[in-house]
Formats: sequence, C-alpha cells, structure tokens
Amino acid sequence: MLFKLDSFTLIGIDAIKVSVEVHISRGLPEFIIVGLPGKAVNESRQRVRSAIINSGFDFPVKKIIVNLSPADIKKDGSYYDLPIALSILAASGQIRCGMFNESCFIGELSLDGSINPVKGLISMAEKAQSMDKKFFFVPYEIANQASFISSISIVACKSLVETVKVLTGGEQIEKFICKDKEKNISNRNNHYNFDLKDVKGQLKAKRALEIAVSGRHNIMLIGPPGSGKTMLAQRAVSIMPDLNLEECIEVTKIYSLYEKYANHLIQERPFRNPHHTISRVGLIGGGINPRPGEISLAHRGLLFLDEFSQFPKNFIEDLRQPLENKAVIITRNHLSYSFPCNFMLIVATNPCYCGYFGDEGRRCICSLREVRKFWKKISGPIIDRIDMRVTVARLKESSFIKTECGESSNQIKNRIKKCINMQNERFKGKNVSYNSEIGINIINEWLKNNKNIRDLIYTISRKYNLTARGMVSILKVSRTIADLEESENIKDCHIIEAVHYRVGSNNLDNSICI
Amino acid sequence: MKSSNGKKILYILVEKKVKPARFIEIYRTNYGDINKTLDYFYKYKSLKLEYKTNGEDHIDFNHSNSCYQKVVDFILKNEVGLLDIGENSYPDILRQIYLPPPLLFFRGNKIKKAQFSIAIVGSRKCTAYGREVAGYISRNLSKIGITVVSGLAVGIDSYAHKAALEGKGGSIGVLGCGIDIIYPPENKYLYEEILSNGSIITEFLPETPPLKNNFPVRNRIISGLCRGVVVIEAGEKSGAIITCEMALQQNREVFAIPGNVFNPMSRGCHKLIKSGAKLVESIDDILEEFSQYSGGILKLCGNSSYNNNRQANDKRGANLDNNELKVYEFIGYNPKSVEEIVKYSKIEVKEVLRILTSLEIKQLIKEDSFNKYSSLF
Repeated sequence: MLFKLDSFTLIGIDAIKVSVEVHISRGLPEFIIVGLPGKAVNESRQRVRSAIINSGFDFPVKKIIVNLSPADIKKDGSYYDLPIALSILAASGQIRCGMFNESCFIGELSLDGSINPVKGLISMAEKAQSMDKKFFFVPYEIANQASFISSISIVACKSLVETVKVLTGGEQIEKFICKDKEKNISNRNNHYNFDLKDVKGQLKAKRALEIAVSGRHNIMLIGPPGSGKTMLAQRAVSIMPDLNLEECIEVTKIYSLYEKYANHLIQERPFRNPHHTISRVGLIGGGINPRPGEISLAHRGLLFLDEFSQFPKNFIEDLRQPLENKAVIITRNHLSYSFPCNFMLIVATNPCYCGYFGDEGRRCICSLREVRKFWKKISGPIIDRIDMRVTVARLKESSFIKTECGESSNQIKNRIKKCINMQNERFKGKNVSYNSEIGINIINEWLKNNKNIRDLIYTISRKYNLTARGMVSILKVSRTIADLEESENIKDCHIIEAVHYRVGSNNLDNSICI
Repeated sequence: MKSSNGKKILYILVEKKVKPARFIEIYRTNYGDINKTLDYFYKYKSLKLEYKTNGEDHIDFNHSNSCYQKVVDFILKNEVGLLDIGENSYPDILRQIYLPPPLLFFRGNKIKKAQFSIAIVGSRKCTAYGREVAGYISRNLSKIGITVVSGLAVGIDSYAHKAALEGKGGSIGVLGCGIDIIYPPENKYLYEEILSNGSIITEFLPETPPLKNNFPVRNRIISGLCRGVVVIEAGEKSGAIITCEMALQQNREVFAIPGNVFNPMSRGCHKLIKSGAKLVESIDDILEEFSQYSGGILKLCGNSSYNNNRQANDKRGANLDNNELKVYEFIGYNPKSVEEIVKYSKIEVKEVLRILTSLEIKQLIKEDSFNKYSSLF
C-alpha cells in the first residue's frame, strides 16, 4: 500500500527532484499531505479527490498520507496534483504499470480530471533528462516547450484518464509523445517588428550599435529628446544573431516562470525596456519567493534603460555586480538562488534636465550647475562599465523627408555573425567569449607587442585627457572594429575610430568639467 | 609698516563698521594720504555712522559674522596677503576707479607686479568656438607679457586663465567671495595652478559666501584692474555685459569677439560691436589701441596673428591624405553633420569617423554641437 513516484519543484529557475510518496493504511478516512506543503499544495487534496472520482476511479476511503520529500524544502504551486492522483491510484491497486520507475510527472488537475499547465516546465524537463528518466508526463498545452530537451520523451496528456491509459498500455505511448522539436527549431522565422533601416540618418549611431552588438559592449546613447535614441535601441535587438538551441532553452527557463501558458520555446532575443519607476526587486530579482528580475529576463538579449538618469542611483549601482558576473545571486531565508543575467546594456539619456544641451537648434536653458548635477547623478562606477558613449543629434527636417534608407537589419546581422565567430575562435578555451570581456592581461600583451599602439594611445590620452579605464575601453572597442574588418591585428585606424565612441561626447564632458 | 596699515584698515572696516565707500570718500578728501585717513577714523572711538554716504555702498561688512581678530588669525595662518590702497604696489589703475576697494586679500604675488592687464570675460556656458577663442587670445596676450584678468568662473573664464598661465604674463583671478572659498568647486585645481603664475584676489572678507550680489561688485574690480576688457560669447544680459558697462564708466576700452549670428551666445558681443566696441580678430587688434603705452611690451607682434596661424595650419594641412583633405575642405566654418559629410564625400561612415577623429587630434576641426564639426582655423 505504499507507492512512490518522481516529480519536481522549482528553486529559482532550477528544478529539483521531489518524490511523491503515498501510504494508504487502515484507519479513519483521512487525506493528509506532509513535507512543508504550501497553500496551493494543500488545496490539491480537494482537486485530486474530485478529479479521481470524476475520471471514473474510486477514491479510497482510507487513511491516506502523502509525503513530499525532501521534506525540508517548502513546496508551493500546483505541480503535484497529477503525481499525487497517480500515486493514490497505484497505491490503492487501481492501476499497475512498469513504467513508473522510468517516468516522472507534473501537472495540475482540474476537477473534471483534465490536466492544466504549470510554470517552469522546461527546467523540470532538463532535470528529468539529467536523472536519466525516459518519459516525462506533462500537460498537453505546454508540452511543446519541453520537447526541445533532446534525450527524453515528453508525453503530453490531456487528462488523468488519458494518462492512466498510456501507463497501463491502453493506448500506444508513441501517439502522445511530442515530436515538434525538429520542425520548430529549424523553421526559424524570427521577425522583429523593427528594422534598422527605418532609422534615417544617425549614421554614427548605427555604426556604433553594430560595433557594440558585435563585441557585446555596453553602450550609452546621449541626445536631446526626439533624436531617436529609443528608436535605435529598440532596433538593436534585430541585429543580434539568432539564439542557438542552448540559449533558447536558457531564456525559456526564465520566461516560463512568468508566462505560465507559454507553450513554445522562446527563440527571439529578449528585449527588456523597464520603466524607471520599477522597483529594486523588479529590476534585479528577489521577493519572498525569489523570482528573476528584468536583468534576468534580458538574459542573452538586451536590457534597455531609457531615461537612465531617472533611475534611482542605488538601483544603478545594483547593476554593477550582475554586469560583472553575468549572474545574480539572491539569498532569502536559507536558500540562495542564482539567476543568469548575461545581457547587453543599452542606456539612453538626455544630456541635461531640459534635454537640449549640445543641441544645434534649440538653446539649453539649464544652468551649468544643473547640467553638472545631472551628470553627477549618473556618473560613477557604472559609467565606467559602459565602453561606448555615443551622441545622437536631432535630425534636420530636410533629412527626415528624404526617403533613402540605410542597410537593413539582416545585412548588418550577417556581418555581426562573422565577427562573433571570429571572437569565438580566438577565445576558444578561455573564459571569455566577447571582446568586451577581455581582461587587462590580454590588453597588456597587445601593448607590449605593438609599439605603434603604445604611441598612438599615448597621443590620444594626452589630447583627450583619458583615464586608464577609458584607454582600456578604447582598446577593447578597437579590437571589435578590427574583427569586423576581419583584420588579424589592431591597426591605427581602428583605434582612431574607437576614440570616436569614447570621446564623441567630448564636447559635453569638456563643458561640464571645465 | 605696510601690513600694519592693512590691518588698521581692516580694523576700521570690520570693527568700527565703516563702509568702504565712506572710507574712500575720506581717503580722497585727504588727497590720498593714507595716514591722515587712518587718523581721521581713529579719532572716533566708536563710530556708529548715521551718516549717509553719497557713494554706492556695495559692500556691507556688517553681514559678515567674522570679527577683526578672526580675520587676522586667518590671514596669518593661511598666508593670505593684505594689499591696502595706500601701498605703492596697489595697482594705480585700480586706485583711479570710482570706488576702489580699500583693502584687497590676495594670494600669489602677481597682483603687485602686473604692469599691463587685459580682462577676458564671457559666458559660463560657452561653445567650442568660445573655448578656442578664449584660449587663443589669452595665450597670445600672456606670451608677450600681458596679464590676463578674469573672474575664475567656469566657461570662458577658466579657459582664459588656463591659457594665460602658459605665458609670462600670467593671470589674476578676482573672486566674488571670501578668499577661503573656492567657487565654483570644480575650479579647485585651477585655483592652485593660478598661484604658480598669478594671483587670486578679492575684496570680500574670508568666509563670505558667493552671493549673487557680490558678482557685479567683483566685476568692477576686474575691469578696474585692466586697460581693456575683451568679451567672448556673452548673452544679451549677462555678467560680461555688466563688466563692460563698468569698464566704460571707468574709461576702459571694450573689445568684443564676433561670433556666429545664429548663436544666441553671440548676441551680447554683437550688440557691443554695434554700439562701438572694437571687433577683435587677433591680439593685434587689441594692442593697436594701446600703442601710446609703449612700455616696451606692447609692440605689435605679427607672429601671433590670425593669418600666420592659418598659414601654419595650411602647412599642417599638407600632411593630410586625399580623403582627409576632402573632408577637411568640405567642413569649413559652418558646422557640418556626419551625415552631410558622408553624403558629400561618398566615403564610408566608418572611414569618415576615423578621419574626423584624426583631424580632431591634429587640431584642425572641433565638434561644435552633437555630431557637428567645423573647422578650427
């Protein structure tokens, strides 16, 4: 009268195994769930009971104890309805089947016995795969999402009755196995609503974006209102190379926590654009039951902070560690949750409060003190982590009317792909994947081996009054520019161009700090 | 002897609460005899003057909570000098203005040595053009030994100071606050630099905050110290214009640098030019006005003129390669955007950006407003 089967719970975005144990014994009829069940788990008693009865089975009139082990981890959510119901049926001898050992189950039951979707399915499928299970029974509606995990068969059932039939051999299991994976990943039809060719003029900014995306450099766009900062940033995601399957799964893992009914694999690069009134937890992640924040939702994609200066200063400071580590670790109660957040950061800001500092047509009405105050708010360590700063000027009326458009996103994307491949080859086996992550040791090597670079950097830093960090940024960016041209070595012209994206806002800097 | 005179005046002004205007009035009625003046004030034990001076009471030490002893302590401790109106080294030219400061606090000795000074004033919020001109005029003036006086503010002032420190003329900064206060704070380093080849002066007591009213008062000293005032980029109503009005009252020359007609920052200068200020293109235009002061330093010096600069730059231009030359020639004096340059030259964007940076490094062009470039010379 004892029965056990495997299911999962989520800690952060990672799944861990939970054994659902059922013991049916004689005694006063009773139905108890132990093992730190949350409210939703406790309520599953009612759902399970109704579902079993409405599916035409008998609900044993005995003492039923369900244990969710490990018993010291708090469990919440409606994941366990299906495993509990199946365990009760098996423990009471109503079904017999040899597949239980090589399968695991997840799903919420409706009172009529149908199976409803749950959150975080893809993480669980991944865990099931690592446990060498053969079958994973999941809710039909979202099965597609889990089917991309390669070596496990995803069995998609619509109801409890169907599940029982599959398990007992009443139906062919092959009929229910979800096989969408091949079709889906090859047939990529990513399209973003935006294309870079919609942006008129702004040649410098477009070029800067291409470089930034190629080397995964964080970038800051500075310009007056209406100059197209937001427009450019929105389109940056359209020139990023497509996600590979591994990355898709990573992204879907995070998103499946939020979009419960997302039944597909997320294949588009995430583009997150949180408003500046967002809370700290919303941005970084956290909460009583920690959930990923915007920075994790932007994993493998773009985080765009518009009106950067409006974000509270401490939130901006919070970004430092995630930017460095590509993951954020949140500790609540006695558990640590780690959420990946490998994103590219684009920030956009006006140059001052009124927004027209450095604008050609309209006069800035801020006092210099205000301009300085404005920059003081956002300067600091985070700015140092932004390799490129590009000024964006307002378009003249005449150029707005002109219909000529630039390259389309796809053309640019192809160049970027090549550039990223080059970087991957160079950094093979190292702890680095993009030029923006190059450490100081590699840069020192360049400087040691190349006298030209040394001289040029010296001249430039004298002329523009650069800090050491500024020079490092310039070298990193110039490496990316060289990669874009498929050049083995960094040449002078590459460095000179890179300077443009560092001190392009020189005009501004100079006026601010004397 | 000298410094004791200074302390006496300080005592009269601070403890006896004599207004500077009153002090100057008595000083003048005694035909500039400082000892008699001092005696006059010492006769009154406690001088509560109900007396209305007909001078303008610009300064009111009463508002300062600092007392005589405190100020003296401060002066001794911080190596601040006192320069009183009776001293020989007090600039004659300043003594002649309507209301000269009876007492100056100073650091750096330039104030005692400066023979011939020109003031450079202008907007705090200057354009790239203003920045260049300020440096250009100031550097050349200083090179031939003329001291550049300005107000130690940000913008034009700070560029003028910086460039002047390179030459032998040096620079004098006139503060609108106590000598212990660095205002604006970002001029901290400039403050130190000036002491190496110039001086910082103020008539305000230590600890006087930079109040709004102080600045017009300070401006009369700026113009008072100089034979002429050069205005670079001023708005229609600005401190620079006030300085010019003072300069005219004090019988000083007013010079103005022309600017772009579309730029609101040129309004003030153009207005001055229309009403008779001299238009300045190079320091020769300034020196011309002072040919009668042939103190040896004021010969016209052709080598700093605009024309020569341009020739030098044409020579530099010879080093440019074809594309660079094409872009440089296209840019000209009217700001051109990156897009315009790309369209005209039919060179790739990245190439244009490279050219722009290298031209900038060669100091041939400058970024005017965002992504707009114009020729420097």
